[in-house]
Amino acid sequence: MKKLRVTVEGKVYEVLVEMLDDAGTSAPSPASAPVHVAPVEAPAATPAPVPAPVQAPAGASGPGDVVSPLAGKIVSIDVKVGQSVNEGAQVATVEAMKMNTYIFAPKSGRVDSILVNPGDGVEEGTPLLRIV
Amino acid sequence: MAISPALLDELHKRRAAATAGGGPEKAAERKKKGLLTARERIEILFQPGSFLESGMHAEHDCHHFGLEKKSFPGDGVVTGVGYIDGRPVACFAHDFTVGGGALGRIHSKKVCDLMDYAMESGMPLIGINDSGGARIQEGDDALSGYGQIFFRNVLLSGVVPQISIIAGPCAGGAAYSPALTDFIIMTKKNAQMFICGPEVIKAATGQTTTMDDIGSAAAHASISGNIHFVADDDRHAFAIARKLLSFLPSNNIMDPPHKPTPAVTMEHDERMNALVPEDPKAPLDVLKVIELLVDHSDFLEVQKDFAKNIVVGFGRIQGIVVGIIANQPAVKAGTLDIDSSDKGARFIRLCNVFNIPVVTLVDIPGFMPGVQQERGGIIRHGAKMLFAYAAATVPKITVIMRKAYGGAYLAMCSRDMGADAVYAWPTAEIAVMGAEGAVNVLFKKEIAAASDPKKKAAQLAQEYREKFSSPYEAAAKAMINDVIEPAQTRGVVAMALRNSLSKRETRPPKKHGNIPL
Repeated sequence: MKKLRVTVEGKVYEVLVEMLDDAGTSAPSPASAPVHVAPVEAPAATPAPVPAPVQAPAGASGPGDVVSPLAGKIVSIDVKVGQSVNEGAQVATVEAMKMNTYIFAPKSGRVDSILVNPGDGVEEGTPLLRIV
Repeated sequence: MAISPALLDELHKRRAAATAGGGPEKAAERKKKGLLTARERIEILFQPGSFLESGMHAEHDCHHFGLEKKSFPGDGVVTGVGYIDGRPVACFAHDFTVGGGALGRIHSKKVCDLMDYAMESGMPLIGINDSGGARIQEGDDALSGYGQIFFRNVLLSGVVPQISIIAGPCAGGAAYSPALTDFIIMTKKNAQMFICGPEVIKAATGQTTTMDDIGSAAAHASISGNIHFVADDDRHAFAIARKLLSFLPSNNIMDPPHKPTPAVTMEHDERMNALVPEDPKAPLDVLKVIELLVDHSDFLEVQKDFAKNIVVGFGRIQGIVVGIIANQPAVKAGTLDIDSSDKGARFIRLCNVFNIPVVTLVDIPGFMPGVQQERGGIIRHGAKMLFAYAAATVPKITVIMRKAYGGAYLAMCSRDMGADAVYAWPTAEIAVMGAEGAVNVLFKKEIAAASDPKKKAAQLAQEYREKFSSPYEAAAKAMINDVIEPAQTRGVVAMALRNSLSKRETRPPKKHGNIPL
C-alpha cells in the first residue's frame, strides 16, 4: 500500500494505493517499508539492476501539485518558477473542448517547479506545476 | 361549575414531563456541546408560537430487554405543524435526548401519521434528522417502521416538497429516508451520513478511511453529490429550508409563489453585453449572467459544490419563480459529464413536478470526452437530460449564449426537445459539431491532397464556421424564435415567461415514463 496525497480542483485528498502485481515478481516487495513517492536516486556504484523509475500515471501527484482538471492542451503557464502566488491566482491555462480553462492556485505559496510546457497534451490529473 | 383542578394539574404535569424529553441533565449535556434540542430547533425553524404539536403523550410499547421499565417521552420524536411565511409546514424532529432519538414502532407511527397528514393537506414536510438509528430492542418493528416511512417518502414525492435536514448522525438504512426526499441540507459539524461506517468498511474490505472522507457534509456536497446544501449550523440550515420554501409551492397542484411585477420592463441591461468575451475561447462565468438575469441578484444555487460544470438553482425573473439550468464554461469547458447530467436532470424534474418554469442558459461544446465517461455510462446518464427536458411540461425558455454543439445542444432543451421559446445571442454557434472536426470529416480527401493541408483545413473550417457558427442559419430554419442582444435577455425572458404561464400541454396517459437511471 502506498499513501498518496492527491489534489483535485484544489481539494487535498489522502488516498491509499495498492500496487497489484507489477514489480511483484522480481523487485523487492514495496509493501515492507514506507515508500516515498519521489523517485529515489540510484546508488552510483550499481546502476544496472535498479528498476527504472515508474512513469507517474496521470493522477499520481505529490503534495503541492497543481493538476489539470481535464484532458487538454497547455496554452500557457501563467507563473514563473520562484514566483510567489496567492490562493486563487491564475497559474495556468488549458485548452479543451474549444474553451480555455483557467487553473487557479489551490493554496498560497511559491512556485517550486513547472512540470509541463505550452503545447503539451495533458490528461485529467496530470500535475502541471508544484507550489510549496 | 368548572373543570376539576386535579385534572388540569395532571395534564400540566404530563406536559412538563413530555416536553422535558430526556430530562434536564441530557439537555444540559447538549447545551454544553453547543447542540440544540429537538424542541429548540422547531422553535427556531417556525414563526414564533405557531407550532401545533401532535403525539406529545406517545410512549414506546416495547416489553423486551428491560425497556418495559424505561420511559421514552414522545418516543424520541417531536411531530406537528408550524408556519413559515404564513404557510403551514409539517415537521418531525428526532429528539436525541430520548434514547438517542432511535426509531421504534410508536416513533415511526408518529412520523407516518404526520406524513399522511402532510400529503392529504398538501403541505411541505421538513424532517430534522438526529438519530442513532433503529431501536434494536424492538427488532423488526423498528425495521418495519423504516419501511413504512420510506414508502410514504415515495408517496409524497411529487405531491409535496420534502426537505431533510441532517443535524446529527444519520446512518445505515436511516439515510435512505432523506435520500428519497427532494432536498438534503446538512450541517458542517456534528452531522454524519453514511451506509457503512469506517469500522464496517475496514472489517469487510480492509480499506482504511475516515468519517470525514465518507460521511461529512463536505464529502457529500462535493464528491458523492448526495446532499444539496451545506449549512454552517442548525440556524443556517433552517434559514436555507425557509429560503427554499419561498420558491416552492405547498403542493403539486398549486403554482409556486410568484410575485409578478405589475408590468414587464423590457429595459436593456448593457452590463450583460459587457460580460460576453470577444474571444469565443475565453470562458464566460455563467454565475455572473445569472446574477444579472434574476431579480435583485437573488439566486439560490442548488448543489453548488457538486459537478460545477452545470449550475442549477432558483430565482425570480420580474417576479416569476424559475428554475435555472446553465452550463458553466469556466469549469471543464461547460461540458456535460456523468455527474453534471445527473445533477441537471434531477433538478429539471423537481421543477416540473412543482410547476416551476425552466430557464436554460446554453454554452456547451459537447459531452465530456474520455474513457471513464464512456465506460461510466455517459450514454445513459446524458440521456437523463434529454428525458427530463422532453418529459417536462412546465414553460421552458432557452437562451443560447454561445456554443451549442451536437447532441449536447439537444440535451440543453433545444426547440426540438420541447422548448416553448428559444432565443440566441449573436455569439451563438449552433452546429452539429465544431468547425475543425466537421471539415476533417467532410473534406478529408481535399485536405490530404492540398499542397498545404493545414492551411486548406483552416480555410475550409472558416467557411464552415461562417455558415453554421452563427445563429442566423438556425433562425432561417425557424429553429429559434429570435436573435437578441445579451442586454435584452432579462426583458425578453421575463416577457416569454409571462406569455407561457397559462401553458397547458397534454400527453398520452401512462403510469410513468422509463427514465434511464
